[in-house]
Amino acid sequence: MSSAAQRVPALETEAVSGARLVVQALEREGVTHVFGYPGGAIMPVYDALTGSSLQHILVRHEQAAALAADAYGRVTGRPGVCIATSGPGATNLVTGIANAFLDSVPMVAITGQVASPLMGTDAFQEVDIFGITLPIVKHSFLIRRTADIPRVFAEAFRIASSGRPGPVLIDLPKDVGVMAAVPEPFELPEEPQQELDEAATTAANALIADANSPVLYFGGGVAIARAERALREFAERSGIPAVGTLKGLGAIPTDHPGFLGMLGMHGSRAANIAIDNCDLLICVGARFDDRATGKLDSFAPNARVIHIDRDPAEIGKLRAADVALTGDLSAILDQLTARPKADGWVSQCQAQKKLWAARYDAPGAGIYAPALLKELSEAAGDKAIFTCDVGQHQMWVAQHCRFSRPQAHLTSGGLGTMGYGVPAGVGAVLAEPDATVITVSGDGSFMMNVQELATIRRYRLPLKIVLIDNSQLGMVRQWQELFFEENFSEIDLSDNPDFAEVTHAFGIEAFTIDHRSQVSGAIERLLNTDGPILCHVRIDPRENVWPLVPPNSSNVQMMEKGW
Amino acid sequence: MSERLVVSFTPTEGAVIRVLGLVERRGYSLRGLAMEERADCASMTIDLEARDASRRVEVVARQLDRLVDVNSVSIVTARQGSPA
Repeated sequence: MSSAAQRVPALETEAVSGARLVVQALEREGVTHVFGYPGGAIMPVYDALTGSSLQHILVRHEQAAALAADAYGRVTGRPGVCIATSGPGATNLVTGIANAFLDSVPMVAITGQVASPLMGTDAFQEVDIFGITLPIVKHSFLIRRTADIPRVFAEAFRIASSGRPGPVLIDLPKDVGVMAAVPEPFELPEEPQQELDEAATTAANALIADANSPVLYFGGGVAIARAERALREFAERSGIPAVGTLKGLGAIPTDHPGFLGMLGMHGSRAANIAIDNCDLLICVGARFDDRATGKLDSFAPNARVIHIDRDPAEIGKLRAADVALTGDLSAILDQLTARPKADGWVSQCQAQKKLWAARYDAPGAGIYAPALLKELSEAAGDKAIFTCDVGQHQMWVAQHCRFSRPQAHLTSGGLGTMGYGVPAGVGAVLAEPDATVITVSGDGSFMMNVQELATIRRYRLPLKIVLIDNSQLGMVRQWQELFFEENFSEIDLSDNPDFAEVTHAFGIEAFTIDHRSQVSGAIERLLNTDGPILCHVRIDPRENVWPLVPPNSSNVQMMEKGW
Repeated sequence: MSERLVVSFTPTEGAVIRVLGLVERRGYSLRGLAMEERADCASMTIDLEARDASRRVEVVARQLDRLVDVNSVSIVTARQGSPA
């Protein structure tokens, strides 16, 4: 880091308790919401929270605090904050912290710790959360001195949101929170500025100008860098067909003519064919993830690669780049001004897009989830934010909903966390109160954080939940059907509770539909209800997600539905 | 084939484990280690060996370099380096 430093605002000159310094530090960072659950070691902080400007959202399980903070961070671009006590409170945050790490989401997680003299003695509710989370944080702190609290928090927020964002853990021993100290003045180092690589930019423009069949492959890094404007302008002026990853969806609007769809395992055939035939792959804020590439050595086999990323460590990790450009994505994209001579290629891609467009004329009278989601997405419009759980419904949302901005699609991409959807909905409603926030869940995922219906009720959050119920762990069942010779093992959820009744028990409106003729009315009811509401949708348990690239196959070896 | 990295870092709490843990998690076995610390700066010389041929030492060096406590990482070939 540069030695140039930035001075922080004036701090207290009188001794203040560590817990009060924590609250002041959060207020200084502009935090308005924190998600958490109190307990023994973190009680001093909860004591100091009363009377502060912070709105604490009391969840019913610490995992939900971390997942709600994750969603809050994705929508606002500022670190989401979660708090838990030591021991089980801290370990319950772990899944949410890992979720944020895998998807590069800014987050600050605060954990209470047993008092310093007890650390290392197997004290009640003692666990080494600092050590446990080392592989899943961008950085972490264990605060040893009360006077260091303002500096540590300022550093934590800077680290969480700068460069490639990620979660930062702050572990606070109870005595450090109780003791009073005069905070020590400190300076934060300036963030280093990365210079544009002119030679690499020239080389990239030359590759683009020479290309006959280029493809723009963009990912979640675009949203993280808030580089949508630059990406869209680059796509427009170059005319290069574009494909997006799961996390990239919305960076270029899904209804843009040049957008061919999501690539990869459940991607569109047009996107995967374009990748297979391209002679130049321009990768922007994506990381050649295995769900996107399929068998790596058959991914874009004849293409040269321009790899653009904020994080130099992504360059060459899985696919060698002919030209690498690291730094601010917008600044880099604005320098790419060459146009390929690829009119024939663009027409070819458009023809494939038309040929392989999704069909919604499923036989029968049962509810076809892709058609329902498409209709819901169109009715909800651009003010909608969709949060997903993980499984078949997650892929249907990605395939069939329309997104005009990446913040409208909150999905657990890297970790694939079942149970993300409802807490993420909580976080999204609070991050953007004017949005219509819709959680699409499955019957497996929903039960993993069903307790958060109580949080929704407590704060009267107007979350719309669409629970797609096939009485199975659908994605596992699909794989067992296709790749394990129909040996169905532990996927039956036919003893699910009555989800509408469960929701009623939490004091939330809910209803069930199971026939195609009920879909339009249900969508209207969902969107016209002021408060929270759940629509329980029964579907055919045999329905699968199509297309599908089998494991360890090239992306063009796609399996399709039978009708 | 064994490779050698020299990692300069600020020896804050957890920094050593953070560096070594990353090396192991990213597909390398530790084959040798030496460390020295002076004031607020420390240096580690790590001999490491990839568990499979697809791993490139340049990548793990960049992954180390992005750790907050790490100041610089240099790749030293076995012939150039001094014994750990």
